[in-house]
Amino acid sequence: MRGKRQPIPKVPTKIAGLDEILEGGLPRGRTTVVSGGPGSGKTVLGLEFLCRGATAGEPGVFVTFEERAPAIRLNALAMGWDLAALEKAGKIAIIEARLPGEEIVSGDFDIQGLLAIVDGHIKRIGARQIVMDALDVLLRIYDDVKNERNELSRLHDWLTDQGLTSVLSVKTHHDDNQGSQYEFLDFMADCVIRLDHRVLGQVATRRLRVIKYRGSGFGTNEYPYVFGERGIVLFPLTMAELTHQPLGTKVSTGLKGLDLMLEGGFRRASCVLISGNSGTGKTTLASTFARAACHRDERVLYLNFEESKEAMISGMLSPGIDLRPSIGDKTLLVQTAMPESTGSDNHLNRVMETIVAFKPDHLILDAVSACVRMGSKQAAFDFMMRLVSVVKERGITSILTNQISSGIANDDEELSGIGFSSVVDAVVQLRFVETDEEMIRQMLVVKSRGSAHSNRRQRYVITDRGIEFPDTPRSPPGRARKVRRKDGGK
Amino acid sequence: MSKPPPAKPRPRKAQCGHYVLRLFMAGKGSNSQKALANLRSLCQEHLEGRCTIETVDVVQDFEAAVRDNILVTPALILVAPLPRVVVLGNLSDAPTVLAALRLSNGDA
Repeated sequence: MRGKRQPIPKVPTKIAGLDEILEGGLPRGRTTVVSGGPGSGKTVLGLEFLCRGATAGEPGVFVTFEERAPAIRLNALAMGWDLAALEKAGKIAIIEARLPGEEIVSGDFDIQGLLAIVDGHIKRIGARQIVMDALDVLLRIYDDVKNERNELSRLHDWLTDQGLTSVLSVKTHHDDNQGSQYEFLDFMADCVIRLDHRVLGQVATRRLRVIKYRGSGFGTNEYPYVFGERGIVLFPLTMAELTHQPLGTKVSTGLKGLDLMLEGGFRRASCVLISGNSGTGKTTLASTFARAACHRDERVLYLNFEESKEAMISGMLSPGIDLRPSIGDKTLLVQTAMPESTGSDNHLNRVMETIVAFKPDHLILDAVSACVRMGSKQAAFDFMMRLVSVVKERGITSILTNQISSGIANDDEELSGIGFSSVVDAVVQLRFVETDEEMIRQMLVVKSRGSAHSNRRQRYVITDRGIEFPDTPRSPPGRARKVRRKDGGK
Repeated sequence: MSKPPPAKPRPRKAQCGHYVLRLFMAGKGSNSQKALANLRSLCQEHLEGRCTIETVDVVQDFEAAVRDNILVTPALILVAPLPRVVVLGNLSDAPTVLAALRLSNGDA
């Protein structure tokens, strides 16, 4: 007698990534508590839920206990949500429920007045969802826990009786004793979401976690989120990973010699790492690929965390790679940023917005090694993993350059940047080799997933016509030769 | 406002020494009934003949609650004489209420 689990009815929040974490949305007709410290985005989350609902034709009421209505409208407008218009259309009602703050108290009281006001607005616009923002401010008028609980119960019962999908936000403080203050609220609610705003390695990061969800499964991790141009954006990485596209057809590297070594080139939708010391020509190789792709009318997004767009363009003129025409005809988009300018989540969101708008076929990231400056190794790892995940999902080829610090790059950790070798499908290693007379450069394909590749270190030079191979590179050996070599090798 | 509040109270008397008290109640809620009873006896004792009590049922007239920003009930507003005072609760603590209404002449 195994009945299929009946999923509880849910209301999608339409907040990017949140519905995946909540496996569909907030519990319909029930109470959700959102708690977090100052600046964690409780108000924005509530507003976004209401605005997206109202825009889709589901009216909602916003009760603010702290901020004034004009401030709320202004904050919403910054995210592109025109509350005033939605209010005019009868899709949203804002209730400013601010206590004057100088009341004298004599005997018991309850929040019937508030409920009457809310009820009036709900009936007026036919709302089925409600956000009560900064409920903690209302609770301040109760000086004992018992009264506070009674009122919370009254509120909760009332909201449930009305069949309202409710979001109650409360401010918590960093010391954890405050958490227990609203324990009752957490216990009462059907869904509890915690927002956390912390500073890691001098960079502000935000994390969302679902604490509980009665009658539903949910993503249990901590999820980074940022305030994008159009509201909150979450990156539920674990769920994205399973939808990668299989590796695609071959795409030319822009270098005949390297194409030969790779039996045709990189594979589309694969992740390629170009690794090497400073000055080996990683950017030159990546730009060669970009120029070739742009000439085929494919779009390339070049993320440069190392130098400015102008410096990169002029730097590439010396090996004869003129990127300006490709930038001109909008097949190449160069986006630069100082890694330390903001947190990795914001960097990722910025890139994501560009990917959505520009729809590149290929993405170049120069350089993985610079990403550590986004705050920490962990932050860089998060950024890379999520970015590669997202581009793979969209079938975009990613070319990552990585500067290795010194010496021979045999350490796998260093070779693959910050330890994400599993997502890297191909590795091209560039290095200097010292001979008696000169320093020569050598290129080696270390790995190329799902494809044969040459095992030879190939000498190359960088001239004013770009990267050139003095000796014609050999195409990958056939399987038989490869086996024979292995046998006869050591 | 489209709908006038029911049971419009008598116009306020502006004369000196006359009190206008507005009590916000929530239907037949016990605290509201207690507050009304407490207020009446208090007025009888201290403001005989020189006070008007307006009652507003927020369940019937939520717009009135919006106008006076009343979130909790019962709530008493001293409308006149100014300055305006708000007292929350069922008014069971007479000395506090009298002090708030500036009626305790040292005898509280």
